[in-house]
Amino acid sequence: MYLVQGIWVTIKMGLIGWVIALFLGVIIGTMRISPWRWLRFLGGAYVELFRNIPFLVQLFFWYYAGPMLFGASLEKSINSIIGLNYYVAIIALGMYTASRVAEHTRAGFSSISRDHYNAALSTGLNHPQMYRYVIIPYALRIIIPTLTTEFLTIFKNSSIAMTIGVLETTFMSYKIDSETFHGLESTTGACLIYLALGLAVVGLMGILESRLKIPGMIGR
Amino acid sequence: MFDAVINNISYLMGGYWVTIKLAFFALAGGIPLGILVGLGRISRNKWVYYPVTLYVNVIRNIPLILVIFWFYFVMPIIIGSPLDPFPSAVISFIIFEATYFGEIIRAGYQSVSKGQIEAGYSTGLTYIQTTRYILIPIALRRMLPSMITQSIVTYQDTCLAFVIGLPEFVRRATIVDTLEVRSIQLFGFVAIIFLITCYIASTISRRFEIKEQEGG
Amino acid sequence: MIQIRNMSKWYGNFQVLKDINEEIKEGQTVVVCGPSGSGKSTLLRCINALEPFQKGEIIVDGQSLTDPKTNKYELRTEIGMVFQRFELYPHMTALQNITLAPMKVRKKSRKEAEEHAMRLLERVGIPEKAHEYPANLSGGQQQRVAIARSLAMEPKIMMFDEPTSALDPEMIKEVLEVMVGLCKGGMTMIVVTHEMGFAREVADEIIFMDEGSIIERGTDISFFQNPKSPRTKDFLDKILI
Repeated sequence: MYLVQGIWVTIKMGLIGWVIALFLGVIIGTMRISPWRWLRFLGGAYVELFRNIPFLVQLFFWYYAGPMLFGASLEKSINSIIGLNYYVAIIALGMYTASRVAEHTRAGFSSISRDHYNAALSTGLNHPQMYRYVIIPYALRIIIPTLTTEFLTIFKNSSIAMTIGVLETTFMSYKIDSETFHGLESTTGACLIYLALGLAVVGLMGILESRLKIPGMIGR
Repeated sequence: MFDAVINNISYLMGGYWVTIKLAFFALAGGIPLGILVGLGRISRNKWVYYPVTLYVNVIRNIPLILVIFWFYFVMPIIIGSPLDPFPSAVISFIIFEATYFGEIIRAGYQSVSKGQIEAGYSTGLTYIQTTRYILIPIALRRMLPSMITQSIVTYQDTCLAFVIGLPEFVRRATIVDTLEVRSIQLFGFVAIIFLITCYIASTISRRFEIKEQEGG
Repeated sequence: MIQIRNMSKWYGNFQVLKDINEEIKEGQTVVVCGPSGSGKSTLLRCINALEPFQKGEIIVDGQSLTDPKTNKYELRTEIGMVFQRFELYPHMTALQNITLAPMKVRKKSRKEAEEHAMRLLERVGIPEKAHEYPANLSGGQQQRVAIARSLAMEPKIMMFDEPTSALDPEMIKEVLEVMVGLCKGGMTMIVVTHEMGFAREVADEIIFMDEGSIIERGTDISFFQNPKSPRTKDFLDKILI
């Protein structure tokens, strides 16, 4: 039925958005603690911008106002892309979640002692090398629990895309109701789907955590 | 430049007022319920702990939009007549946000180290005195920043009531947009208002946090 | 080897190092002691450019730190540093900890770097722990791996910031032994420590710092038996039982 199609869309949005968010978020988080002031400022500005504006508003802005930003001629062609709402939703989701991942990454970096950074630098590594080989691998493992929460949140936020007509789970449950008036059943079904998705995410991250576990590191 | 906004400013700000009202009621109900939920999660009574834990874990896995929808459909069936969007939204929010506040309270409570409580007992204080003078003040200090953050999140979440037709800020902006098609201005305006209010609120919260750390 | 001239450093309004003057020749071992907050750790971190300083000059092996042309990253390959809390990279084995910098900075091949690392591990006495993660090593073993890690870049100078302060007493000796070996091998060393026995055995010069300034210098015997300043005497009374 419709719901099954919706689930697939939800999963795709969540996964792709998550990949964008992780990649972008770690970079921005690193920017926020880098020694260069303008990088810190840019990173901070990004985080504040995407954190303080509700996701729905961001989504609407990119979907309705976004094409207009490209000027009149491009606007028409962008608006005629089929499935535009789907792509916009994924990008918006990725950018929003990236700001949260950036904050978690920054927290992870802060929890690593200053001398750890110093130790890496004192062997002659430069800053990019230090981040890549020493700090980021360590910090990522520290923040796996908080990243799990964020991963869950991204699936929940994907439901907001229904407001711009993306055919994902929540939208489908609404559609079923409007067609068959079995709203109660369809929304309950949707609830169960999200629950199942949540369990899957927690399970997956748990496996990841045990695979990447550093022997002796402080557990949760 | 912002002519579409200015022309419709009273209509838009009327929506903002609805947003504020919704946030207010959501917090006024959500925080007290959250306290009960938090206490329930700490409780050693099986009949309290398991139902509350189930409730919290279910709600936290479901998107708020779905909760709002689900409620909008359930309520009429129970009451027998359809509900207005505003009360329905308020109740959905209270039920939803209470789980998050409950978890904050639980975390704050559990973060007070056993050592501090034992220290209280060892100087002769009773259970009630220890709870009152040691446990609660320390727990409250720990919870406060997260409570404020979560309140800001609730304020942001109000725009989701959009989906049941509540004429709040964002919905009114979309209505104006269909008329004027000045999307950049309108949604930009909405975005800026949220940006400024949330940024101010979180900055105040951070000052608070620093003060707490220095004083505490 | 190292010349420090009129060097001062502030953290905001607080002056943490006051007009430091010192010269350390090649092959010398200098021990720095003093109460906490005296600036000794900060001084070390200024020498390898981990911390900036606002006034004065530091010249290491002919290169001035205040000269904009000086490449700080290259400079750090010439100075090894060992930290109080070891700071081994927890997600890498002992061997990987040691080979990281030689491979990435000196562009050595994995084979070359690993062979060199194994030789260093033998030198510090724990070659069998090459494939262990830091969490499975004792404090003393971790610190010895940290020393090997710094030596891997074949530095001209080695600096130690309270290397044994975080160790259980029974492990202090094994680390000090490695350090004594380095001294006797001719390494230029600066050691911040409270281990006065070590100082007595190998130090060419002992510096006492307090509140950001160098209060007194001496060569071992004179320093311990006839401290000139009352503050030095006070400090020595407290730490020498």
